[in-house]
Amino acid sequence: MAQSTDIEIATALPEGEGELEAHLHTKRMLINMGPSHPAMHGTVRTHIELEGETIVRMDPEIGFLHRGFQKSCENVTWNQCLPYTDRLNYASALMNNFGFLNAVEKLAGITIPERAQYIRLIGSELHRIHDHLTCVGAIGLELGGFAPFLYAIEGRELIMDRVTELTGARLTTSFGRVGGLNRDLPEGWSERVLKSLDKCHELIGEIDTLLTANRIFVDRMKGVGVITADDALDFGFTGPCLRASGVSYDVRKANPYWVYDRMDFGIPIGVNGDNFDRYLMRLEELKQSEAIVRQALKQLPPGPVIVDDWRIALPPKPEVYGTIEGVIAHFKLVMEGVPVPAGEVYDSTEAANGELGWYLVSDGSGRPYKVHVRAPGFAIMSGLPHMVVGRMLADLIPTFDTINMIGGEVEQ
Amino acid sequence: MSPEEKPGAAKPPPPAPARPAPKHPGFVTVTVDGKEVVAKPGTNMITAAKTVGADIPYYCWHHRLSIAANCRMCLVEASTSPKLVPACQTALQEGMVIRTDTARVAESRRAIMEFLLLNHPVDCAICDQAGECKLEDYYQRMDAKPSRLEGDKVLRDKRRVLGPLVVLDQERCVLCTRCVRFMEEVAKEPQLGVFARGSDEYIDVFPGRQLTSNYSGNVVDLCPVGALLNRDFRFRARTWFLSTVASVCTGCSRGCSAYVDFLGQDTYRYRPRENDAINQSWLCDAGRLSYRTLNVDRVSTAAVGRGDDRREVSTAEALARATVQLKAMAGTAELAVLVSPACSNEDLLAGLTFAKDALGVRSLYVGGRPDGAADKLLMRADKNPNRRGLEWIAAALGLGLRPFADLVSAIDAGRVKALYALGGEVPVPASEAAAALGKVEFVVLQATNLSPVTAGVDVLLPAAVHVEDEGTFTQAEGITQRVRRAYPPRAGVQSHWKWAVDIMREFGFPVTLASAREVFQEIAPKVPELAAFDWDKEAPPLKTTRGIAPLPTGADGRPPGYREFGAPRVRGI
Repeated sequence: MAQSTDIEIATALPEGEGELEAHLHTKRMLINMGPSHPAMHGTVRTHIELEGETIVRMDPEIGFLHRGFQKSCENVTWNQCLPYTDRLNYASALMNNFGFLNAVEKLAGITIPERAQYIRLIGSELHRIHDHLTCVGAIGLELGGFAPFLYAIEGRELIMDRVTELTGARLTTSFGRVGGLNRDLPEGWSERVLKSLDKCHELIGEIDTLLTANRIFVDRMKGVGVITADDALDFGFTGPCLRASGVSYDVRKANPYWVYDRMDFGIPIGVNGDNFDRYLMRLEELKQSEAIVRQALKQLPPGPVIVDDWRIALPPKPEVYGTIEGVIAHFKLVMEGVPVPAGEVYDSTEAANGELGWYLVSDGSGRPYKVHVRAPGFAIMSGLPHMVVGRMLADLIPTFDTINMIGGEVEQ
Repeated sequence: MSPEEKPGAAKPPPPAPARPAPKHPGFVTVTVDGKEVVAKPGTNMITAAKTVGADIPYYCWHHRLSIAANCRMCLVEASTSPKLVPACQTALQEGMVIRTDTARVAESRRAIMEFLLLNHPVDCAICDQAGECKLEDYYQRMDAKPSRLEGDKVLRDKRRVLGPLVVLDQERCVLCTRCVRFMEEVAKEPQLGVFARGSDEYIDVFPGRQLTSNYSGNVVDLCPVGALLNRDFRFRARTWFLSTVASVCTGCSRGCSAYVDFLGQDTYRYRPRENDAINQSWLCDAGRLSYRTLNVDRVSTAAVGRGDDRREVSTAEALARATVQLKAMAGTAELAVLVSPACSNEDLLAGLTFAKDALGVRSLYVGGRPDGAADKLLMRADKNPNRRGLEWIAAALGLGLRPFADLVSAIDAGRVKALYALGGEVPVPASEAAAALGKVEFVVLQATNLSPVTAGVDVLLPAAVHVEDEGTFTQAEGITQRVRRAYPPRAGVQSHWKWAVDIMREFGFPVTLASAREVFQEIAPKVPELAAFDWDKEAPPLKTTRGIAPLPTGADGRPPGYREFGAPRVRGI
């Protein structure tokens, strides 16, 4: 586990040496990196103790983005929690939306229509591509390569455009509702997604060519920020960071949800648990996600996208405006929320950074009694000092990049 | 006919099946949804079922009204009958097995909901009842299916004004007849009736008559749907934005238990709160509308000077001014104290202690609202909610009580040079009282509402009303009730007890009382009648549901619907 490497410091002057030849008095330097620092994404402050350029102690301090997410959820209906979940990992909001809804549906015992399951899967994988592109691009940028960043952001923009067409928002999607989805795919969307994926595929290839065999890049990534499989498990790592250390754990395979069991895809596993492996994990997952989206679009069945039950889903608008039954159901759902039976549940999905877990308690009313989110980034962030202590300060940058700390989900 | 039987001879009736011996002697034992319920004979099935968590829906049944059994919503399966039976009307029998959760019962409820909604207008968006409507609750619980109506709904009179306080929307009515039964059985003024027959039935007043009863507001509370509406409350607030605390109506000395519904720092209505000992489930219209004084014509800032010299001053300046003059007169026979029996016990405990210890008076003049009309059901002639409390506290502190007329004659005789008044209510026309008080050299008045009296005093201190602080009131029969604080008073306004404590401190007394609770805990033990009252335990709970209760509006942790700048100003009718 994390230890601080104390280095002996010679302070006494060797005998006979003149003052000019004397060793310099050295002392450890305390520096604050962040909260406002370009490499400290998401306003995190790290308090670093340096011995020369070597990190001897590091203390990450989170909380600058704390919004009281869990407590806020207790004051709103289940569906109204969605905008809060957008702001967890804001690089992959759809996965947060769907993960939360999945947990609520498990608690309420709702099975969503097949088409909704497919669309949730497609949205999730698109946002996984979005998230990984952001991460890989940022690694390249912060190690001096601006071109890969631009390629990544170009691909990301394409995904964002598709997500905007689907949800109406670039970032804060608030998509899906308890029981399914609030709207179906727009017309011609599947074709545009395929075209975007083609372009992304090309861009990912470019990034791969520019970075993976690049001497400067590899030298700064290989053997840096190493964490063993045991340590990673002890810290509670999940997702690409855990798999880079050689542990094969992915919720999509371990406990398949939606229609993941119908998809043909692989889970990349690393060997060394260093920055380079974490980078490679993401690169490979980009390709796997693309394959999953293509398969899902091919299999996408017709049908409704939300359950046909006015106790859960809003009635169609003509019913609301034209019949008393519709207006009552609408009113009750909006004002009081979907009544979720009393009980508690833990449910998790594989988000871009790992296992996104939800522990929900309902008291039978339309509002959550308690919401707890197990954010993958939180556990990974806690392992950061362990990975960088004893290394140079410059090594912190790629390590911080590859763990892909997202302030929104770590600090909630 | 069998050959043995002789024609004309009455066949003996088959012997009645032997009644099973009661399992619990003196009680009736039945089974509801597999759970045993032991109830006193005569217990209603709905009440009995509720004790084991079986929530039987109903519209027409009310525990204080006769049973009509016309809504058919409470139909359940009972072992004593092959058909479904109405739970409200069926007597419990020993060994009866009742099921409220079978598919047959569910289908019956669903079908009834479908019928009830068949001709119901699409009104939730403009209906005052939305949010506390049984049609909504039960539809979502029992039916939740789309409409199957083909064609148009039956149209009726949508705004039939029944009386000064009540308007009827006949389209929304489900004909449960609760209102008709209430007017006949409780108010004993049968002003409402059911007219026509069959599907043409409607509720109305008799031709040429109006719903003028002093209890007409209760039919609005009784109406399970949005048919009968309160004209005073209509279109003023959506019920789900309102927060509620348990309080009492301070309109008369009956002290009916009530709920105060409020939003921001405004009270929107009183609703009756169940209390067997005082008001059962009812409120009179006069009391119901007395909430208005909590909102309008309030004394909002401290002021000094009379007439044209009147100017608004800071709390500190007003306090200093009051203290200097009162201190100079303290202990002399020329200083008089006037108290109002409309104040809470806490106000009186602190105020009377101040009068006795600091001002050194031996007796008090009693102000308060003048007597008014009374009736046989709830309303009493004495319009002061806490006269009994005042009598108790004054007796315990050894202070005599003298009528207001004595004060007027003392002033006329020039025996009163200074007056400290706790509460601005006076039992004579306010202009008369103002004229009398005008002859006093120096008057300090703590008052909640503006009146001619407040205009002519030297120091005016704005006092909080009962919904703005915790407290207790003792009604005419000697029942003491706790009230809860709905919202804090506006800046500069504070409770009577707080003013009394503040002046006392200015006098140099080491008083540290900081809340109504402390006032009660500190001083009430001296009052034998209040000594046994447990201030904390008697407090009605602020929370009525499981889980986290959203804080009331105006507190931090904004509940849904909270408006920073108070309620939207909505046009009334």
